[in-house]
Amino acid sequence: MKTLATLIRRELQEHKVGFIYAPFIVTCVLSLMIISVYFGLTDIQTPEFSLTTEIYEDEQALEWMATADSNQITSVIRSGLVVLALPIILTVAIAILAFSLSTFADERKDRTLIFWRSLPVSDLTTVMSKILLITLILPLIVLPNIILLHLISLLSASIFFATNDIVPFGWIWNAYSFTDWFRIIFILWTQSLWSLPLVAWLMFAGAFAKRPIMGALVPIAVVVVLEGVILKTNYILEFIEDRLGFWTSGLPEQNEDLRVVDVSDIYLMFLTQDFWIGITLSALLIGGIVYFRSKNNDYSSE
Amino acid sequence: MEREFAVKAKGVIKSYDNSRALDGIDLEVRSGQVLGLIGPNGAGKSTFLQAVLGLLNTEGELEVLGLDPRKERHKLLQKVCSITDVAVLPKWMTVEQVLQYVDGVHPRFNLEKARSILSLTDIKNHSKIKTLSRGLVVQLHLSIVMAIDAELLVLDEPTLGLDLVYRKEFYSQLIEDYYDGNKTILISTHQVEEIEGVLSEAIFMNQGRIVMKDSIEAINERFLELRPNQDSLERARSLNPIHVRKELGREVFLFEDIEIDKLSGLGEVRPPVIADLFMAIMERTKLEGQQ
Repeated sequence: MKTLATLIRRELQEHKVGFIYAPFIVTCVLSLMIISVYFGLTDIQTPEFSLTTEIYEDEQALEWMATADSNQITSVIRSGLVVLALPIILTVAIAILAFSLSTFADERKDRTLIFWRSLPVSDLTTVMSKILLITLILPLIVLPNIILLHLISLLSASIFFATNDIVPFGWIWNAYSFTDWFRIIFILWTQSLWSLPLVAWLMFAGAFAKRPIMGALVPIAVVVVLEGVILKTNYILEFIEDRLGFWTSGLPEQNEDLRVVDVSDIYLMFLTQDFWIGITLSALLIGGIVYFRSKNNDYSSE
Repeated sequence: MEREFAVKAKGVIKSYDNSRALDGIDLEVRSGQVLGLIGPNGAGKSTFLQAVLGLLNTEGELEVLGLDPRKERHKLLQKVCSITDVAVLPKWMTVEQVLQYVDGVHPRFNLEKARSILSLTDIKNHSKIKTLSRGLVVQLHLSIVMAIDAELLVLDEPTLGLDLVYRKEFYSQLIEDYYDGNKTILISTHQVEEIEGVLSEAIFMNQGRIVMKDSIEAINERFLELRPNQDSLERARSLNPIHVRKELGREVFLFEDIEIDKLSGLGEVRPPVIADLFMAIMERTKLEGQQ
């Protein structure tokens, strides 16, 4: 356990910019934007999205707010907060993809592999520490950022509503459940497992290929083309697309929307065949990574 | 229980495509020895040391501290330390982070001892490794290794690229502060003259084979070098030296298994330095190969 914790701490020290600073900076920027909007300092409206208080001038919206029951408010708040947190999740996702592609390639390139392997840590433990970091630890690091953003957004909105006599200050807080934090962490954990095959593939490419980007893209491109030409199907591309998206898209119709997924729905993912296909594929790739890392001894001075 | 041999190798072979980096290595290294692996580039020194560390798969029998390095590498590395290259400490880390890391993964690492050793150097704990000079990086690596209670230390060209001062410091620190007579040390280096004083045994390697292996004591008894007086040249030549080299215009004769009495009076007699002996043995091996 001490070894695993040490290995994970090392990764966080090395990749603190992508895993710790970047999501925090994004959180701060988003928080500032929201505060500015609610306190009338700015108003962002583009064709793609808008951050504005103008909607609260709409009669229909005001009427809905005055009459909505607790469940309806909760649903709307959840939806808004999920969308709000997406840039943070996206930032970490990009950091994870970059990390996965480079982690085994870089240690070979800068020859630190020699030092790491001179210590009593097995290749399997090293690989698993990186997998655990991505699937288990990073969601825990992302969570405080999401919570911070949530609280700042809700507090700003509450002050805005109260000072403008739209609804009372407690309108939001009565509908906001702090158990949602558990919901978020479970969703992030399950999402990490859902996307694990992609991460494992990138790590695998970094472990075996001299040029990891080429190693990651070329075999996939070849197989996709061959599949298209020979079988006239598109399964591999669809698989990649699925794993890049939210795991909830694979759930039954009534749960299709991420916004209503609850902790109690998570077991549904474990019932899907797709999930287990991904886990099996990931396990095979992890085995491959361990194999290639253990064979990377091309650093003899002779 | 004290182990008689730290390393036992029998018929160890490492093949790459059409060549053999190790071509049937037979070797027994007694515990507590400081063994030098001496040979030109491509001799197989690093390959053998990597095999000892379990970093390479080899054919033949290989036992290190009673373990098979190919199958029990993880267990073995708890008892073995190595410096296989000077440029491998992660540059992004601070000195303290490296110490904490090794402390977290190595059960035999003594963090306080490492800090105490480092406090005697110019290395600051908060310094990033990328800001340290090459010499200081080696010193840091050696400090880490010295704080590990290992039975076997493997040094593969540990001072490569260092200037003379750091090279000297490295070996003097290694022997004075680390070597306690119980630890076994395997060193491979090109700078033979610098390790000569610290070795208890030497192995000469060439083309994946051991050309000669002996204790320094036995080498000094077996080989003698003569710088003959001008009038004793012919007499010296008639005693069948195994090698003749020129030094500042004077011929120097190397003899094997000769009584010192036969040479006394012919000139200056002394044991050869390892580097010169190595050159002589290599030339002899080359000639034997041509015949």
